[in-house]
Amino acid sequence: MPRRATGGDAPGRLRSRPGRRPASWRLRRALVPYLFLTPFFLLFGIFWAGPILASFAYSFTEWRGITAPEFVGLRNYADLFADERFYTALGNTLWMAALYVVLANLAGLSLALLLDAPWMPTRHLFRTAFFLPMTISMVVTAVIFQLIYAGDIGLLAKLLSVFGLEGPAWLRDPATAPLAIVAMRVWRTMGYYAIIYLAGLQAVSSDLKEAARLDGASEWQVIRHVILPGLKPVMLFCVILTTISALEMFDEPMVLTQGGPGDATLTAVMYVYQQGFQFLQLGYAAAASYVLTLVIVLISIAQKLWLGEKDR
Amino acid sequence: MILARRGSAQDPSPVLRLGLLLALCALLSVVLMPWVWALLSSFKPRSEIMSTGFLPEVWHLGNYRDLFATTMYPRWLLNSVIVSVSAAMVGMVLCSTGGYAFAKFRFPGKTLLFWMVIASVSIPPFTTVIPLFGWMAKLGLLNTYLVLVLPFAASAFGLFMMRQYMSTLPDELIEAARIDGCGEFRLFLTVILPLSRPALGTVGILIFIASWNSFIWPLVFMRSEEMFTLPVGIAGLNSEQMAEYGLIMAAAVVSCLPMLLVFFAMQKQIIAGLTSGAVKG
Repeated sequence: MPRRATGGDAPGRLRSRPGRRPASWRLRRALVPYLFLTPFFLLFGIFWAGPILASFAYSFTEWRGITAPEFVGLRNYADLFADERFYTALGNTLWMAALYVVLANLAGLSLALLLDAPWMPTRHLFRTAFFLPMTISMVVTAVIFQLIYAGDIGLLAKLLSVFGLEGPAWLRDPATAPLAIVAMRVWRTMGYYAIIYLAGLQAVSSDLKEAARLDGASEWQVIRHVILPGLKPVMLFCVILTTISALEMFDEPMVLTQGGPGDATLTAVMYVYQQGFQFLQLGYAAAASYVLTLVIVLISIAQKLWLGEKDR
Repeated sequence: MILARRGSAQDPSPVLRLGLLLALCALLSVVLMPWVWALLSSFKPRSEIMSTGFLPEVWHLGNYRDLFATTMYPRWLLNSVIVSVSAAMVGMVLCSTGGYAFAKFRFPGKTLLFWMVIASVSIPPFTTVIPLFGWMAKLGLLNTYLVLVLPFAASAFGLFMMRQYMSTLPDELIEAARIDGCGEFRLFLTVILPLSRPALGTVGILIFIASWNSFIWPLVFMRSEEMFTLPVGIAGLNSEQMAEYGLIMAAAVVSCLPMLLVFFAMQKQIIAGLTSGAVKG
């Protein structure tokens, strides 16, 4: 553990012959890595590791921020599992995450396969263009999409009306609101995952592809039996990344729907936020966030086992 | 014609090729459309946003004028710049020193510490924000830049990246410098850092982007309007009754500009940085 809280400074500059004074020299040498680590771990401890552990402790207390936390045993967890809204939030999160993981990976992979085709012109330009949405913040994306989904003034409604059609009020209808949010997320991240898949595709041996083609395999067979098996590790990475990021969804529903209509887009993290920062139930919110963490960890492990097993 | 094609299965027929290319272009226009729409809408007065047309009848600059004159937008922009630039600077110092220790030293506790950093990545951010909110409130640090700069500077991802890069630097070089009597700190500054410049740049950009786009942190820790960063400010404009869409679109357009500049200037590092870690599997 880092012991000294002074920033990393120079230990012994005058040491010219390392052979001399072995004992003190060795001590100094042994301290060097810790000095280099101190600044990072000081902040990492205060802002990440410490709070993560403290949060677990606080989940067994009633804590309203200003007053001292008061130990209440498992009451927060009992209340949590008795709250129907928590199940709604968890259910919404799982449903939106599942949809998002499937769509984002399908879109990313298809886009990558298309961009990887040897005959594709201006591949580089396409790659950059599809990546662009990823650099814009989720909040800005969400406010822009508000003016796309909005009932009668939105772009979608206006485009549909050109053809004499009338769409639903995407964000006001409990059936379409989650879909609208997922679609926006896929729009934003598709290019990012395409680039990851593209890098994976380029790592698949071209000899293998060539050999399969010479043996008369169709392009689809090459994809199915040569490329996809070679992509397994990259796919595992993308699936886990999309899953974790979707299970932590917060910005989009917060800006677009505030969880509505009627809790149809309330996500687990939004639930934690409301409990913690709108009702100031910090202990209770900590308990909810730990349950969510557990769900995330379990799902990641399950995916690893499932996708890893097929790897053989 | 058919004979001219070499690997026959490799190239789909020209018709299919054209079809796929057109599909790709259609998809690309769907991807770019929201921005075009935001840009168009930012030049429309309220009445035109409500009407059915697509293009603004007159290109109206009122939204941009109002944005800078009647809202605190300039202040939020300033806050965002201060916070993100400082986080990137401090982060480059922390991640390079920490990454160096993990890359080039053996010491007791190394595996444990490294594992701790990796594990922290998969914990949802809210788990850390809850106790921090209580602590920062007690310390009177809410509404300060400090609470937004320091957590982003201690970036697990940045540390990991610096470690990866620095472990590829030759050990002989470091040994040679030590034999020449170079002190450990000077060795780091004059040998290691200059060699790690590419990775350092990437880490700086990634921290900048993460901080610039972050919503949860400023939402929780910045309680007064003049300390908001852009995402919180824009979300605030958006949640007002009778939201002024033209104004909001102007805000969205202006806040995209710095990011787009950064992106086009440093495209390679950004794409490589954001996708690294994937291919090693």
